[in-house]
Amino acid sequence: MLTRLVGGEVVDPVSGGTSQRDVWIRDGVLIDPPQGETAGETHDVSGCVVMAGAIDIHSHIGGGNVNTARLLMPEHHAAHLPRPANTPLSNAGWSTFQTGCLYAQMGFTTVVEPAMAPYTALHTHLELADIPIIDKATLAILGNDDFTLSLLRNGKSSAMLDDYVAWVVGSTRALGVKVINAGAAAAFKENVRSFSLDDTVPEYGISSRKIVKSLQASVTRLGIPHPLHVHCNNLGIAGSADTAADTIAATEGVPLHLAHLQFYGYGTEGKRKFSSEAARLAELVNANPDVSIDIGQVMFGQTVTISSDVMRQFTAIGNANPKKTVIMDGDGNGGGGIVPYRYKQDYYGSLQWAVGLELFLLITDPWRVYFTTDHPNGAPFTAYPELFELLMSSGARDAKSAELNTTALELTTLASVRREYTVEEIAIMTRAAPARLLGLKDRGHLGAGAIADIAVYRKGRDIAKMFREAALVFKNGDLVVKNGKVTHYRWGKTLRLNPPPDKAMVKRMKDYHDEHYGLSLDWFTFPDSAISRDEPFAEVKCNS
Amino acid sequence: MSVAWIGSQPVSLMDAIQNAAKLLASSRCPVFTLDTDVHGTRSAIALIERLGGAYDHALGDVLAKEVTLFTDHGGMFTTPGEARRRSSLIILVGDIPAAHHDMLLSWAGTQPDLGDRGKRTWFHIHGEMNAAAKLARQLKAVSLGAEGLSLGGALAVLRAQLQDRQVARSLGGIEQFRKALAKSQFPVFVFSGTSGDAPGLAMLQGLIADLNRKGRASSVFLPADDDAWGTALTSLWMTGFPTRTGFSNSLPSYDPVRWDVQRMIRDKEADLHVWVSSRGGETPPRGGTAAVISLSRTEAPASGAAVTIAVGKPGVDHDGVAYSSRIGTFRALAATAPSPLPSVANIVRQLANSLPGRKALPC
Ligand SMILES: [Zn+2]
Repeated sequence: MLTRLVGGEVVDPVSGGTSQRDVWIRDGVLIDPPQGETAGETHDVSGCVVMAGAIDIHSHIGGGNVNTARLLMPEHHAAHLPRPANTPLSNAGWSTFQTGCLYAQMGFTTVVEPAMAPYTALHTHLELADIPIIDKATLAILGNDDFTLSLLRNGKSSAMLDDYVAWVVGSTRALGVKVINAGAAAAFKENVRSFSLDDTVPEYGISSRKIVKSLQASVTRLGIPHPLHVHCNNLGIAGSADTAADTIAATEGVPLHLAHLQFYGYGTEGKRKFSSEAARLAELVNANPDVSIDIGQVMFGQTVTISSDVMRQFTAIGNANPKKTVIMDGDGNGGGGIVPYRYKQDYYGSLQWAVGLELFLLITDPWRVYFTTDHPNGAPFTAYPELFELLMSSGARDAKSAELNTTALELTTLASVRREYTVEEIAIMTRAAPARLLGLKDRGHLGAGAIADIAVYRKGRDIAKMFREAALVFKNGDLVVKNGKVTHYRWGKTLRLNPPPDKAMVKRMKDYHDEHYGLSLDWFTFPDSAISRDEPFAEVKCNS
Repeated sequence: MSVAWIGSQPVSLMDAIQNAAKLLASSRCPVFTLDTDVHGTRSAIALIERLGGAYDHALGDVLAKEVTLFTDHGGMFTTPGEARRRSSLIILVGDIPAAHHDMLLSWAGTQPDLGDRGKRTWFHIHGEMNAAAKLARQLKAVSLGAEGLSLGGALAVLRAQLQDRQVARSLGGIEQFRKALAKSQFPVFVFSGTSGDAPGLAMLQGLIADLNRKGRASSVFLPADDDAWGTALTSLWMTGFPTRTGFSNSLPSYDPVRWDVQRMIRDKEADLHVWVSSRGGETPPRGGTAAVISLSRTEAPASGAAVTIAVGKPGVDHDGVAYSSRIGTFRALAATAPSPLPSVANIVRQLANSLPGRKALPC
């Protein structure tokens, strides 16, 4: 089957730049314009921008903690009017089914769930398999489990840590590794209430820094394409910019990705001792080519914060709105906290909003800054269209700023920053760069050979509307969205690495689980068939 | 051996499917009682959305109580694995269902290898009547209770005493408990939906919150029934809501009173009851005016059912995925005695394909 998109403005910073040209698809894959062939299907996309499908590298879309948040907050998504449901369960608010539809309608075709606890991998993958249309991936959480911490304490070889990391990534079908407040969840179980980069975990005597550096090295040695994904210590605390700065300095020539940097952009100035350090952090990021970051932008309204940073979530209980929370001390790297929260346009909310935008605008290289709200922690991903508008229009920022707390905004540089993202920069930040960061060579661009994940947006003055309702979206060449509505249902895949398990490590894991949990290893692992969909996974290669 | 019946007559599977599909298509208000694994539940909910029906679990009342603890309150929890490894002080709360006794007894033979690593001691806080007395005896648990007090009352007294507030009467065992608490770095309260009423479960979480002001403590939630809890979790990701959810115009709503399926049958709101049970040995409750379709692990037609179709049991007749409270998450089950009996999902898919429109289900 041959499909042709005619007359659009193609924006593809990787292959061919920006120009008016046709895009050709054969059997789900992009091809160079064929000689002397006629397309079976032609779409007139004049007046539209044509980009690769967008990729979200950090959005909590499925798994145990997300599901617990649903359980805690049934009222959060109760009052929607039914729209005509041309696709199954797409009216079910905050369901996996709706998640896939809403992402697709905005032109997103790949989304990474960044916090999969290894022991609950099956649950996570069951949910992801029920997210239609888009491709998914997960990052496996490491760095708080007794096995890792014991290896480090006992000075075991780095090869053994590599074998363990490879076994976790392979058996949980992850695309990468994330470390969340390294060591803090283990320390919290020992009643430690605050934890910084050079604090040590009781029992193990290992510092948070040592955990991060060891995992960073292991991920690099294993050739895992995505650099270690780090959720730093001290999230959300006034003065956390120092922690972020220390972590940025700790890259030491090896790549590191820092998640939701906005939540660390805080200093201790001002009457409320809560100020913006975004300009300082942006400078540090600009000066360190080994670091990439995503923002975790705050937008206003009700949300539910979901995090495996159990220590931080426990300290946030007092701010819960409404007043109900779940705090879970999980096995190993599991657990976390669910704390409902309402971002108000008050001093704190205004400052957080501005810090995120400052980071977006002051970090100069769109290849190293990623577009996220840390869904749903800073805002639900459905706020993306408004966020695109804020980045692309200084006027829109001024208009919103006028509604917000002036004292807070005066402690930021936001008003003086007039940068506006170009469409090319948006294409880098939300397509090309995420594909490169995750090691996904087959997407993020529109060059021949890439899978035909394409988002077509009708150009207009209303930037938010343009990105809220894609004119056309193709997933692997299937037309799935027309005029902002899902028109065709299909099932994407979950992208995973598949490093071969080391035999001695498997034996070690069997013994470990038998001894410490009284259970055989098959309680913690699962075959692909447990997902009950045809070929639920697609393999991504490690770097050699 | 027959696998499908219309009334009490054995028929071909195809005839039973056609007949059941007709009943589904003509029903004004179909309600479903679910009691199966993740994949059976997924397919059933997809069908229920299409039909505009409502669903509940066969153990809907106790499950609703467990769900309410989360929807109304929340709390602090840990896993059985973490409790086994880290907790030297375990407090059983009220009645713990028999299904969990083996696991708890197995902990008694182990020593914590994390945290304070102290020798494990057991307490049992309870109301007057307690069926868990045998378990408590086997574990040599110290009794925390007082005559005339309900479990909720005992928890309230314990909470007050631990805060050094005046109480009208003290709990037996309290001094021993204070000593144990002072020694343990990670005390864990083990409870279930069968432990007590909803305010009692909330009171327990209040007590745990108090203990976490200065030290650490948590709870292990052992569902009254693992499969029921698994159904609630599956329902959550599929619809955003736990069980006792209904659809109108493909919009789900959650209402533990309105969509209490047994109530709907009693009050004659439902005209068709689909009983989905792969547990084995369970039959749809009699009574009411609703017609009954039974998909169950059976060798005989369900008495009173318009249509009965035999299904297999996940983890026995075919592979499956079920919630396991031992690990606090889902577990893949391999068939232990593979048989040709179809899965619930298989039958539900055939039903969907026999409905007008013949659209395939999303799962
Ligand atoms: Zn996150």
